[in-house]
Amino acid sequence: MHGRKLVLLLMMVCLAATPLHAQEQTEPQQAAPAEAKATKPEKAPLLSGVAVSADLVGFIMRAMNAKFANMEVAARLNILDKYFPVAELGIGDCHREGAETGNTFDATSPYMRFGLDYNFNKKHNGNRLFAIFRYAFSSFKYDIGNETFTDPIYGNDTPVPLYLDGQKATAQWLEFGLGVETKLWRFIRLGWSIRYKARVGLSAPDEGVPYFVPGFGKNDSSGWGGTVNLVFDVGKSVRKAKAKSEAEIENKQKKNKE
Amino acid sequence: MRRCLLPLLTILMLAACESYDCTLNNHVGLYAAFDREGTAVQIDDTLTITYGQTGPLLLNQSVKTASLNLPLTYWEEEDTLVLTVKGTDYLLQDTIWIKKSNQVHYESPDCPTTLFHTIEEVRNTNEFIKSITVTRPSVNYETTINLQIHLL
Repeated sequence: MHGRKLVLLLMMVCLAATPLHAQEQTEPQQAAPAEAKATKPEKAPLLSGVAVSADLVGFIMRAMNAKFANMEVAARLNILDKYFPVAELGIGDCHREGAETGNTFDATSPYMRFGLDYNFNKKHNGNRLFAIFRYAFSSFKYDIGNETFTDPIYGNDTPVPLYLDGQKATAQWLEFGLGVETKLWRFIRLGWSIRYKARVGLSAPDEGVPYFVPGFGKNDSSGWGGTVNLVFDVGKSVRKAKAKSEAEIENKQKKNKE
Repeated sequence: MRRCLLPLLTILMLAACESYDCTLNNHVGLYAAFDREGTAVQIDDTLTITYGQTGPLLLNQSVKTASLNLPLTYWEEEDTLVLTVKGTDYLLQDTIWIKKSNQVHYESPDCPTTLFHTIEEVRNTNEFIKSITVTRPSVNYETTINLQIHLL
C-alpha cells in the first residue's frame, strides 16, 4: 500500500507540473506582442472533430491468452480542441484457474465508461497531452467452481465438484489519469494513457466475490490500468478548419487589393 | 514531458506486479467452552469426541479440557458429535446434534475455498451436559465462542 501511495504522489506532482510547463510555453508570447500578433494563436472551431478508437492492449492480451483482457472501442467529440467528451464500450474477459487450489473463475461481460479528456496543449499541432476522467460501471455475470473440491476432514478424499454458475454483480468506479496522443498519418492517430482506478461500489453475492471486474481488472478497492489507442479522426479536424479560415483570409485580401 | 516519464514508467512496473491477498487465518471451526452454573470450568478427565458413533476421531483423550475447536462437515445439514468422558471408575457419554446451513466462501482462484456455516438448532442428551446455548450462530474465520456448554 505504501508503494501505491508513493506512485499516487508522483502522479499528482506530474499533474501539478503540467500547467506550469504550459505557462512556460506561453510566456515568450506575452514578452513579444508584435511577434504574437504576427503568429495569431490558432482558434479551433466549437466542434473540431469526431473520432473513434480501439484499445490495442486488450486485443493483444486476449491474443496472448493473458489471465484477463479488456477489449474496448471508444467514440469522442472534439470541442475547441480542448475538451473531449468520451464514451467507451468494452468487453471484459477472464478465464482463470488457481494453480494450487483448482478453483476456477470465468467471466465475459460488457462495461461502459463515460468521461472527459482535457487537452493541455494549446497549439493545434496534432499532439495532445490529456488529463483523463471517467465514470465507469459494469453489470456482469461470472462462474466460479472447483472440480476437485473435497471436505478435508469428513470427505474421505472424495471430491464433491463445486459449481456456482451465473453469479451476478455490479461495480462502479472512477478513473483519473494522463494521456498523450500524436498524429501518425492523415486521420490516423496513436495515443497512450495511464489511469488510476478507484472502485466506488461493488454489489456481489456473499458466496463468492468476483476475482475480476470487466473494465476494472483484478477486483480490488483500487488499481492501475493503461491503454494504447489507435484513433481514427472521422470528423472535420482543426487543420481543415484552419486551412479553410486561411483560404477565406486570402480571398478577402485578394478582394481588397482588387 | 520528460518529467512525467519516470513516474509513468514506475506506475507501469508496479501495475505489472500481482499479489495474492488470501486471508491468513483461514481455519473454519466450531468453538465451544464449558461452564457450570455460569462459572467457566474444565473437564479434568479424558475427553474423546467422535463424529457419530463410528465417524472420524475429532478429539482423542484430551485432559483438562476447557474449550473445544471442532470442524463441521461441509455438506451435511446436521452434524452429530459424541462426547465421551472417561474417569478412573466411570464412563459418561453425551451426543450433540448441530443443525446448520452451509455457505460456500470463495475468495479468488488462488485462495482455498471453504464453507461457512450458520447454526440453526442444537440438541443434546443429558449424561453430563445440562444444556447448550448458541452464543454465536455464524461459524467462520472468527475464533470467538459459538456454543456455551453448561455441565451438570
